[in-house]
Amino acid sequence: MENWIVGCDVGGTFTDFCAREMASGRTVIHKRPSTPDDPSRAVLNGLKELAQLHDIDPAAIGRFAHGTTVATNALLQRKGAGVALVTTRGFRDLLEIGRQARPLIYDLQVDAPAPLAPRHLRFEIDERIGPRGEVLRPLHDADIDALIEAIRAQPDVTAVAVCLIFAFINPDHERRIAEAIRAALPQVFVSVSSDVQPEFREFERFSTTLINAFLQPEVSGYMARLEAEVKTVAPEAEFGIFQSSGGLMSVQRAGQFPVRTALSGPAAGAVGAAGSGASSGIGDVITLDIGGTSTDVCLIRDGKTALASTRDISGFRIRLPMVDIHTVGAGGGSIAQIGGDGLMKVGPESAGAVPGPACYGKGGTLPTVSDANVILGRLPIQLAGGGLTIDRDLAVRAVEPVAQQLGVSLEEAALGIVGIANANMSRAIRVVSIEKGYDPRLFTLMPFGGAGGLHAADVAKSLGMKRIIVPLTPGILCAEGLIMADLQEDFVANCRSIVTEAAIPQLRAECAGLVDRALDWLAQEAVGDAAQTMHLSFDMRYFGQNYELAVPVASGTGTITCPDAATLREAFLAEYRRSYGHCDPDGTVETVNLRLRATARLTQSAAKGAPQATSVAERQFVPVWFDRTGPAQTPILARAHLPAGTVLPGPAIITQLDSTTVVPPDATVRVDGALNMIMELADV
Amino acid sequence: MSEDGIDPISLEIAWNGLKSIADECFTAIMRSAFSSNVKERHDHSTAIADARGRLVVQAEMALPVHLASMGGMMKELLALYAGDIGPGDIFIANDPHVAGGTHLPDINMAAPVFEGDRLVGFIANIIHHADVGGAAVGSMSGGLDEIYKEGLRIPLMRLYRRGKCDEDLLRLLLLNMRLPDERRGDLNAQIAACRLGEGRLQDLLKVHGAARMDAIFDAVIERTQLRMRKAIASLPDGTYRFEDMMDDDGAGTRDIRIVLAITKSGEEITFDFTGTDPQVKGNFNLTWNATQSAICYSLKALLDAEIPTNQGIFDAIRIIAPAGSFVNCVAPAAVAMRANSCQRVVDCVLGALAPVVPTQVVAAANGANTSAVFTGTDPATGKMYVYLETLGGGMGARYARDGKDGVQVHITNTSNLPVEAIELEYPLRVEEYSLIPDTGGAGRQRGGMGIRRVIRPVAHTCEFNGVGERFHHAPWGLFGGAPGASGRFYLLASDGERTPLSSKATRIALCEDTCAVIETPGAGGYGKPEERALSAIDADLQAGKITLQEVRTNYSQWMEFPLPSS
Repeated sequence: MENWIVGCDVGGTFTDFCAREMASGRTVIHKRPSTPDDPSRAVLNGLKELAQLHDIDPAAIGRFAHGTTVATNALLQRKGAGVALVTTRGFRDLLEIGRQARPLIYDLQVDAPAPLAPRHLRFEIDERIGPRGEVLRPLHDADIDALIEAIRAQPDVTAVAVCLIFAFINPDHERRIAEAIRAALPQVFVSVSSDVQPEFREFERFSTTLINAFLQPEVSGYMARLEAEVKTVAPEAEFGIFQSSGGLMSVQRAGQFPVRTALSGPAAGAVGAAGSGASSGIGDVITLDIGGTSTDVCLIRDGKTALASTRDISGFRIRLPMVDIHTVGAGGGSIAQIGGDGLMKVGPESAGAVPGPACYGKGGTLPTVSDANVILGRLPIQLAGGGLTIDRDLAVRAVEPVAQQLGVSLEEAALGIVGIANANMSRAIRVVSIEKGYDPRLFTLMPFGGAGGLHAADVAKSLGMKRIIVPLTPGILCAEGLIMADLQEDFVANCRSIVTEAAIPQLRAECAGLVDRALDWLAQEAVGDAAQTMHLSFDMRYFGQNYELAVPVASGTGTITCPDAATLREAFLAEYRRSYGHCDPDGTVETVNLRLRATARLTQSAAKGAPQATSVAERQFVPVWFDRTGPAQTPILARAHLPAGTVLPGPAIITQLDSTTVVPPDATVRVDGALNMIMELADV
Repeated sequence: MSEDGIDPISLEIAWNGLKSIADECFTAIMRSAFSSNVKERHDHSTAIADARGRLVVQAEMALPVHLASMGGMMKELLALYAGDIGPGDIFIANDPHVAGGTHLPDINMAAPVFEGDRLVGFIANIIHHADVGGAAVGSMSGGLDEIYKEGLRIPLMRLYRRGKCDEDLLRLLLLNMRLPDERRGDLNAQIAACRLGEGRLQDLLKVHGAARMDAIFDAVIERTQLRMRKAIASLPDGTYRFEDMMDDDGAGTRDIRIVLAITKSGEEITFDFTGTDPQVKGNFNLTWNATQSAICYSLKALLDAEIPTNQGIFDAIRIIAPAGSFVNCVAPAAVAMRANSCQRVVDCVLGALAPVVPTQVVAAANGANTSAVFTGTDPATGKMYVYLETLGGGMGARYARDGKDGVQVHITNTSNLPVEAIELEYPLRVEEYSLIPDTGGAGRQRGGMGIRRVIRPVAHTCEFNGVGERFHHAPWGLFGGAPGASGRFYLLASDGERTPLSSKATRIALCEDTCAVIETPGAGGYGKPEERALSAIDADLQAGKITLQEVRTNYSQWMEFPLPSS
């Protein structure tokens, strides 16, 4: 009997599917337009189409992994629940003040967004916990009752965030309030800060919890509905939701913690990239995912995606472990224009999908990065998959005014547009690598998304990177990442203590507590005999500092214990030195949080049965501009015609379904056993 | 190709490369510094200067008030050391009177970058250090009346010669500062950022070479100046006047007058402070550089927020500020609280230009850099602690929008310290952190609200030092808008008794059962209150941002057409 795993990534424009049969490794893909008014329609129809097109028995789908932008869009559009906040007396404005900084220092007209819960729905309650978890002012039942009546009087409130000072140390008051609300108002969703993000720094914790509450009614409803609908097509499918931290969780958990899906889509791309790299034996990768309006980059070290702890989405702060993806406003649709200083600027304004770049003939008239690529011959007039047709004349008409304004030739202007876009993308890579203490020259660049391959060689050169890996299906890497994802859950405990041998028993006890919780979770969520691993890390800092480093200290299967003080210290010093280039070997070191990541490895299989090309087909040659010296006659090749073992000197343009790879004259491409293309760049 | 020899595409790319260096240095300091003041509050800046000491780029998150300080240091550095600067050197300075600074806690560093033996430029940075010695802990207390009391004065000195640290100098510096371990950590972060920037600029030099890099620097500054002049030209010609008052200097001088006449003609603009009061005893005086910072900020904010921050802006404006006046003080004037006075200069520029840029301007904001410093000995550890906070307040109302409530305004944008961080680090309890109803000035658009923060010591007696402004001269409204509420400090005893404190509260003993209450000013309204939409009044009432009393006093339209109130 066949056993299929289906990954489904919902993006703004397309809903992508990638399906793999476990025993044979047979992998198929499908792409269809998204249905933003109700994303589940594209998911359901696409799933049926996928099964029909590729002759998949829906009953043989054992797992359905879903990447979703429902939460992200709800935040971007501020379309979520009517939400109330309950907080400690004296602090109802804390969320509105935030960190009291304004987003742009010199812009008098721009403010941080107003809180998701308006002031009259931010309720204070008399209670106070102190910094050691001690109760400074007790919580009274009569106050809870009054609070419930106040919430009941607000019919628009469908979700409540309970956020008390120091609840991450002592959650008792938060729990009492939450239980009482749940009992009295069963239709209201309740999010509790000590559950959602039990860490120190109240603004970040409150904000994350409030966002969770805001998303809960909508997202949990969507997830439950979608699961039921998918079951009608694929009754045997285990349903997994992809979370921003890079693993799957159950629908029930996603409904409880929807804020964890805020970066679901891009994070799946990073996991797909890690998987593709691994299939070619490449563990250190920097991704370059270039879409229409923006570029996402992520650093992967030793096959593991880097994690960030804080991110603002649409001006709202989220503090949770998330795949560390850095985004810049430079993509194929980014618009070129002359700025107030007479210099050429590219982005952040974008032509988007509509009207889109001029060359697509959908009404766009402004010059974009895609138009420049068309003029340079890098984006071929006929794309392999058909679909979009490109009109070079429209691109020329759009770019010409810019060229005239600058007094340069059309091709020079186009090279300029691409060059500036590349510089913006390179800057994004510097942020995730050099600024974090990693040397990009030791990494391989992995372009994906529609336009990644167009820019990868230039971007790599500007950073001194020598090697590029273009995955087999760059256009659907997010969906592919979904089928490679494992079940994953992060646990955190607060453990502020100076690192000495005397502190170790306490840390061990905390660690054992987390391990117990992880084992409970594995027993509940991980089905069958999945391989289980745990990774232990500490947030540590020098005593007196107010900024922590995540320091991995141990990993293994089954039981895991906290190492001794000397090992902890050494691990911290090494990480500090790597991050900042120096460390004080004698400084007092402190732990702040203890983190445990548990993963249950799901059945996986390597891709097989992808293009079994025979011979290199007839070559078509076109003039392509690689630099100012003029065009070079360059062959256009279909990737499907490049079998494993192919070695191809540049220049070349390689096209496939929905993406194009530019191979400059001084580079060489070979196709490896996993059918990934490895491009080696000459020394510069 | 344009007349500067660098085409507009290459220049854009090179310029981005330079900005990226400044930003990377900024992040490096934020990540590797020790003090909360830098890590949590981001009270630091980074920049690149050319071989002539002109600022070329500043980090995106750099603070406006640090701008001129870095530029000022470069000028003095070249005057003193030209011809004797070598690779691996790092210079250090903080003095406002002889080293271009604006107040002593801001310690500047600069490292030269060479191609061979040709000096190409400098990597500069600045951190507000939480203490640089002097009479008062935190070096920021009100009431200090000469610069010697404000902390250690560092003239331009060489901290590193050819890559080697002058340990003697470092020991002297650290000995004169409280919390030397933290200082060492922050100074190390500055040194590391200098080295990082040097390496990165070297990488760019490999691409461009020194001669072309010089041309790039010239082009960046020149184009910035042209852009600024173009923005200036958009204003109608004329002379625009405004006057405002500082409350007091904490050393006996009240109602310090700042008089400004802005004359705009073609692409020229002159800021003339003739008639401004003489410098004062207390530590609110502005050095020339500080005044220049405030003017640059105001022009950018009013005319073109995207104009890069560099020497090109300075080159486009002219300032007349009599030496020895409040806005161009001379030694030994005390200057620690200069941020408050910078805010008032900003208000003067906004007030003067309001009639000609009515849609861009904002009414007077909280006009202060309200600071609160708590010091004492932690009863649990026996160690001394210093907790410094600067608080935001109301932002002025705008043409089409209310002023933002509870936020840092104009020349400062530092973050707060989390309540939980305060209570974990210090023996203090934060009882309240809130917006104060009725503090936003009434108007068609309402001014922003001030912040209340209530703090008391736990199990010991501590000392409170507070500095506020606009406690007497309230933030004014525009075009008929009412002024915002003034700020105030007071003590709140457990029995509810209140003891008012002055706006420059110095060395106030705080017993365990007494709270220090800090209330920052609100901000002025914009347009006549009677033109305010009923729906906006209703929303403010519902939110508790205004009370019925305020509605009755200021919004007559409400009484005529009462909506069902909640």
